Amino acid sequence: MLATDLHIAARNLARHTRRNLLLASAIAGVTALLVLLGGLTTGMREAMLQSATTLMTGHVNLAGFFKITSGTAAPIVAGWEKPWDEVKGTIPELAWAAPRGRGWAKAVAEGGSMDLVLAGVELAREPGFQGVVQVVEGSLQDLATPGTILLFQDQAKRLGVKPGDSLTLSAPTTRGASNTADVRVAAVARNIGLLSAFNAFIPAETLRQLYQLKAGTTGAVQIYLKDPADSAVVAARLRDALRAAGWRVMDPDPQPYWQKLMFKVNSEDWTGQKLDVTTWEDEMSFLSWIVTAVTWLGNVLVTVLLVIVAVGIVNTLAIAIRERTREIGTLRAIGMQRAQVLRLTLLEAFLLGLGGATGGALLGALAAAGLNAAAIELPETMQYFLLQRDLHLALHPGQVATYVAFVAALTTLAAVWPSAYAARMRPVTAMHHAG
Amino acid sequence: MRLPAVAPVAAALLLLPAAGGALTPEETDRVVRNIDDMERSGGDYKALAYMEAKEKDKTDVVYELLAYRRSGDQKLMFLFLEPKAEAGKGYLRIEKNLWFYDPRVGRWERRTERERIGGTDTRRGDLDESRLAEEYAARWEADEKLGRFEVHRILLTARPGVDVAFPTVRLWVNKENGVVLKRQDLALSGRLMRTSFYPRWKKVFSESKKGDVWYAEEMRIYDEVEKANQTLILVKSVDTAPLPANLFTKAWLESKSR
Repeated sequence: MLATDLHIAARNLARHTRRNLLLASAIAGVTALLVLLGGLTTGMREAMLQSATTLMTGHVNLAGFFKITSGTAAPIVAGWEKPWDEVKGTIPELAWAAPRGRGWAKAVAEGGSMDLVLAGVELAREPGFQGVVQVVEGSLQDLATPGTILLFQDQAKRLGVKPGDSLTLSAPTTRGASNTADVRVAAVARNIGLLSAFNAFIPAETLRQLYQLKAGTTGAVQIYLKDPADSAVVAARLRDALRAAGWRVMDPDPQPYWQKLMFKVNSEDWTGQKLDVTTWEDEMSFLSWIVTAVTWLGNVLVTVLLVIVAVGIVNTLAIAIRERTREIGTLRAIGMQRAQVLRLTLLEAFLLGLGGATGGALLGALAAAGLNAAAIELPETMQYFLLQRDLHLALHPGQVATYVAFVAALTTLAAVWPSAYAARMRPVTAMHHAG
Repeated sequence: MRLPAVAPVAAALLLLPAAGGALTPEETDRVVRNIDDMERSGGDYKALAYMEAKEKDKTDVVYELLAYRRSGDQKLMFLFLEPKAEAGKGYLRIEKNLWFYDPRVGRWERRTERERIGGTDTRRGDLDESRLAEEYAARWEADEKLGRFEVHRILLTARPGVDVAFPTVRLWVNKENGVVLKRQDLALSGRLMRTSFYPRWKKVFSESKKGDVWYAEEMRIYDEVEKANQTLILVKSVDTAPLPANLFTKAWLESKSR
């Protein structure tokens, strides 16, 4: 029965080639735009996630604070391997993990000075680092040598340095004594938006020397998961496991570590080590407004687009049905029931929507691939906030299939009213219709 | 009874060895202890200070602040009066904790004692009572001339377990009257961080000390890492009269910005 109806619906569509092609093209165009817009917002969010989780945070962080006195806190985990060894078995979702030193220093060079957030890296432990940080001058491998630094383009420009030049890092140690480290610029990397404005990388050993920290001390164990969506669940499990192992663990607080250090931990009356488990969303909460804004902007655009499409479909189908009034009257006269007429016209709309949306999705995917291949550089202000240099559209088959299904369903839904109108027509009236 | 103004200088001269010879460790310690004694107020102390901070590529800023001290329990408080954006902010030391108050947010934050005051090159120690002998071990380096002054050059190294902003300090002490004329502050790495000059010293009689309290009326601090940065501190209107008992409290500092 359905197969027969589908066959008839397809033949009907084929008979009105010109009109249906026009309608299908409109649906295809809208679907293509939907796919491109979805790819854009997903691409932005993925790029932000990737950049942020490489430059500043893991998907989950086993971090903490050490207070020598109640008024002197440092964002460090002393002897990080011990707590990590005790709990890493509880994370089957683990992809890889690496210790990352955390610090802050004033960088002073001949050309200028600026404050930098320092990350102490062990390159050999960080497989994702090279994928995100694109070196434009110098060598990333040199960053494995103690006494070096990796800067981003704007930082190098502001300090007036290039690979091979020296600069001085000045910072107080964890006990508050002034200290300095002379470092050589190993590499200059391409800007990655806001985060690269203040983040710089030095070897973990150099960071420990600057802060007078013992070997085995780090800022955080950055934990990377197979699926970042598991972050919150894993973080909660880690907290429980650490508490069960006897560690003092801070309560969950969705703030980046530096905000806790500045406004919270220093005012608390405790000394010694406390561990703090955070997710990448906690650490990036000061940037979450960008993700929220991009998502909202995308949603608003898609909604406006869909409303326009729905109105267009209703209008076009209404015209199409009006043109076929006599045909519908004949069908009703030879015995076709109202429900059958309704089903037939809805099937036509569904087939039209499915075909148009599939074609549009393919078109959108091709356009996205072309744009990605063209590597279009974003305007500087957009790079700053979107944490990516080149326009990147991320398309996932599931997401595209959802768009196709959604547009097909919307087309079918939009056809309900004109189809119901067609089904309600009396055969005699319809056959006498002059249109 | 007011002691003659020359008495501390005479005392200092007695402590100092004859020119030309190396100082023994005991003599070096005495010179450093004498610096602390000369600057000790032995009671309450209030001063109006101006800090002019010059930083590269930034507009010069002049801060006006009141510094309060009480020797007995090492109380210390700074209250900023100018510029308007800083007015009402303050630092208060309670026991070993230095607290910072910002009236705009109405919140107290615990800070390290080694903090840069107002973000300038000034440190708490520049306006606090001198505790060099307590914090550092001294070693005589040389006797030499600093301009037209005969000076002892003394190297101070932080005592184990004592937290100071600068682990190594070099002093040029005037042989004639025992005051510091020049000071170099070095980082743990040995890098020179600041050079300070103290061209003008003054003294004020303290009833509680029963003697004179010396203070550097002018301090010129040069940042040796960011060469263009420098801070000038002028200390005015020093008063050693007893201060109200409830002065060194968070409530008092908060009340100044209401």
